[in-house]
Amino acid sequence: MPDLPELNPVIHGKLRLALLSLLAGIEEAEFTWLRNKTGSTDGNLGAQLARLEEAGYVRVKKKFVNRKPRTLYRMTDAGRQALTEYIQALKQLLGTAIDT
Amino acid sequence: MKDQTTTQDLKDRLTLIETMISEGRRTTESWGWTFVLWGMAFYVAIAWAAWGHSAWAWPITMTAAVVVTVILVSIKTGGEAETTLGRAVGSVWLALGVSMFLLFPSLGIAGKLTDPRLFIAVASGMLGMANAASALILRWKVQFGCAVIWWAAAVAACFVTGNQAAVVFIIAIFICQIAFGVYGMIQEAGAKSRRGTAHA
Repeated sequence: MPDLPELNPVIHGKLRLALLSLLAGIEEAEFTWLRNKTGSTDGNLGAQLARLEEAGYVRVKKKFVNRKPRTLYRMTDAGRQALTEYIQALKQLLGTAIDT
Repeated sequence: MKDQTTTQDLKDRLTLIETMISEGRRTTESWGWTFVLWGMAFYVAIAWAAWGHSAWAWPITMTAAVVVTVILVSIKTGGEAETTLGRAVGSVWLALGVSMFLLFPSLGIAGKLTDPRLFIAVASGMLGMANAASALILRWKVQFGCAVIWWAAAVAACFVTGNQAAVVFIIAIFICQIAFGVYGMIQEAGAKSRRGTAHA
């Protein structure tokens, strides 16, 4: 029986997984847009995004538009790679689960 | 990891990934109003130039339309995610705007815009190009229909009288700016009402 792959614990959190998946389909998004899409609270979302930023999976950019501060998040190449590997691991685990 | 994670949980996670990726790509941006705004701006400029006989009709109206568009876009697109598709379509229209704002004032200042048919043919041809590019990116047949109408107007303007070319231009503006813009706004409103929040 082949070794079962480990699921990346940084991505495994459901909100972090949802955030990376959202960012995978776009170029960049504002904090408020991510909050609206995930239905998360500001505090929880900020904490999870900080964890993804620490891991190097998202990059943060702050800018002012019409004198209002905007925080933009973008997925990094490392984040895309990690998400791809996570999906492959999930599929492998599911394949094994179906076999057994 | 496998021990603590059930098969159903793994399936749920795959579904969550798929849902969120498609949710991210969905856009709630609305652009139908810009077609209506610019259609109205064209009509104001045409009427002002025809009845007011002012050389400033087009430059002032078009500059005002740019200012209004920039203000409304900055208000309406706040809180949106930027998608590759949105940037591609936006680039086409931005490039068209810059081209027109360089070409037509230059032709006017140089005194080479004496025949209105030249203006109508070039403007319609450029609008046809932008609509076609946008339609091909978005795979939107209705917008490609607008491109065909603009191209037909551009070709027609080369072979008819000045007054006839003006009528062709006014009809093309109505179909491809006003009617298409209203159609786009209705489509966007319908799409927005069908969407909810995809909670993680």
